[in-house]
Amino acid sequence: MRVNETAPYELLGARNLQVDLGGAPILRHVSLSIGPGERVAIVGPNGAGKTTLMRALSGAVPATSGEVILCTEPIQRLSRETIARSIAVVSSDITLPFATRVEDLVALGRIPHGRGPAGPTAHDRERATAAIERVGATYLQHRDVRTLSAGERQLAAIALGLAQETPILALDEPTAHLDLRHRMEIADLLTSLAGDETIMKTKRTIVAIFHELDIVRDGFSRVILVSNGTIAADGTPAEVLTAERISGAWGIPLERAARL
Amino acid sequence: MRVRRVTLLSLAALVVVAIGAVGFGVANIAPLDVLAIIGKSLFGLPVGGELSAGSTAIVMEIRLPRIVAAIAVGAALATSGAAFQSLLRNPLADPYVLGTSSGAALGAAIAFLVPITGIAWELGGVQLAAFIGALASVALVWRIAGIGSGEERIASVLLVGYAVASLLAAALSLVMLASGANLRAIFGFLLGGLDGVTWPRLAAAALPIAIATLLLARRGRALAAFLLGDEAATHLGIDVRRERRIAVALATLATASAVALAGLVGFVGLVVPHLARLAVGSDPRAVLPLSAIGGALLLLLADTVARTIGVPVGVITALIGAPFLLWLLHRARAGYAL
Repeated sequence: MRVNETAPYELLGARNLQVDLGGAPILRHVSLSIGPGERVAIVGPNGAGKTTLMRALSGAVPATSGEVILCTEPIQRLSRETIARSIAVVSSDITLPFATRVEDLVALGRIPHGRGPAGPTAHDRERATAAIERVGATYLQHRDVRTLSAGERQLAAIALGLAQETPILALDEPTAHLDLRHRMEIADLLTSLAGDETIMKTKRTIVAIFHELDIVRDGFSRVILVSNGTIAADGTPAEVLTAERISGAWGIPLERAARL
Repeated sequence: MRVRRVTLLSLAALVVVAIGAVGFGVANIAPLDVLAIIGKSLFGLPVGGELSAGSTAIVMEIRLPRIVAAIAVGAALATSGAAFQSLLRNPLADPYVLGTSSGAALGAAIAFLVPITGIAWELGGVQLAAFIGALASVALVWRIAGIGSGEERIASVLLVGYAVASLLAAALSLVMLASGANLRAIFGFLLGGLDGVTWPRLAAAALPIAIATLLLARRGRALAAFLLGDEAATHLGIDVRRERRIAVALATLATASAVALAGLVGFVGLVVPHLARLAVGSDPRAVLPLSAIGGALLLLLADTVARTIGVPVGVITALIGAPFLLWLLHRARAGYAL
């Protein structure tokens, strides 16, 4: 699928999406539309439904009603493999049961592009190495993933997502458990990754869940505020992250919200 | 490439050891004569005119079925062990983790007590009962633990497997108490051994073993994704429920058939996958085929020792496997994780 870069089209969207888990409604009346090259931050209090929204947008949980659009197609019409070639979801805590080198972990990102029982091909290895290099983690490639620090592990996880070669990169709290410097580095990396051209000939779209509002203000052009299972605001950081909204969504006093 | 080199080398080693093992025993037969006898008997090749009828009978009727059985059982156990370890993300999982061994033992023990005789029964009544017991146990664990659902179920699969195995072990103890003169036969099954493997019995078990093991060794792509957990596997395009069902079904079929043929041979399925990972890394696409070869090789060597000194092969694998496990754990404490 090739699309003219200047014509905006829908890469990721939701129409009146509702998701129930265990009978309880987690998301209601969610509608959004994300195009190529956008950098979108999802913010909101714990339990608001941010992760469920990301899981629904990547087809990991089915919509109870409404629909999710991925690369202009309703997601339920796409095979799991097609979805995995369109959106990579980066986990914030990779744990492995066995010693595994970073290069072998990142090569797992090639699974949706593979066929048959054989392991990663030379081309897969090459793409994995390129992904590791892109996140600046070449010095880690022979290390056991389980011996990495939290920051290094996050880089490996992002490289794993990049190796999937998808137009959309989704990240669930990529800065969780990181110190100030590593947080900034990850935020800068995400900004830079959004400028890359993907295999769909468009700029890469980044969708990421954050708790740190400073990162969102500095590095993201669009913020979606999720509160109580619904989208409370969607716009630029200046529009969305006002003291009133922060105070309302997180339930903190207005004068303290104004200082965030 | 390293993976291919290690795999081919192990395969070559297996072939050499297998030919040597057929010739090795009370009556030693030279490797070339072994090849000649097999070539003549199986493929009708015009070789080795002066081979004795005795040697031919020893190779074809006694040693070859036993050696093929050791290869099949070793490959089945190690491949299933590797699959369960990846699937359950647990380095201590083995082929019996879903209660296969206890179910098979109970089935076999009950069969020893049934006073039925007949051609069909003589051919493998105990084996059939062990096979059914193993499948029934896994079916029970499968049902209670809800295999095929979400990530949080892994711990419950392990716990349910343990609970069902304990229950069946208690039942086995009762049957053994009531078994009287059959106690020794039941005990022999529990120790695991390849004594008295015949071609018909081998053929019945080897076919499901070969099919299930070969198919399982080709599921490495999905099992590789499972290393990262169910959610991440989903995001890599894997249908988690479907792939888990297929892998559990194939590993169970291979294990149950292996247990029916050889009794409870321990440690091969636990230890060999770890050896394979030390050689080629953790990717199941490399680990599964290498485990199949390594399991065959290990059980063949262990059985050759076992028949030389006259003890059940399960005793030998435990004698090798348990210290090896301790060594792995020691390495883990020294900084190298399993």
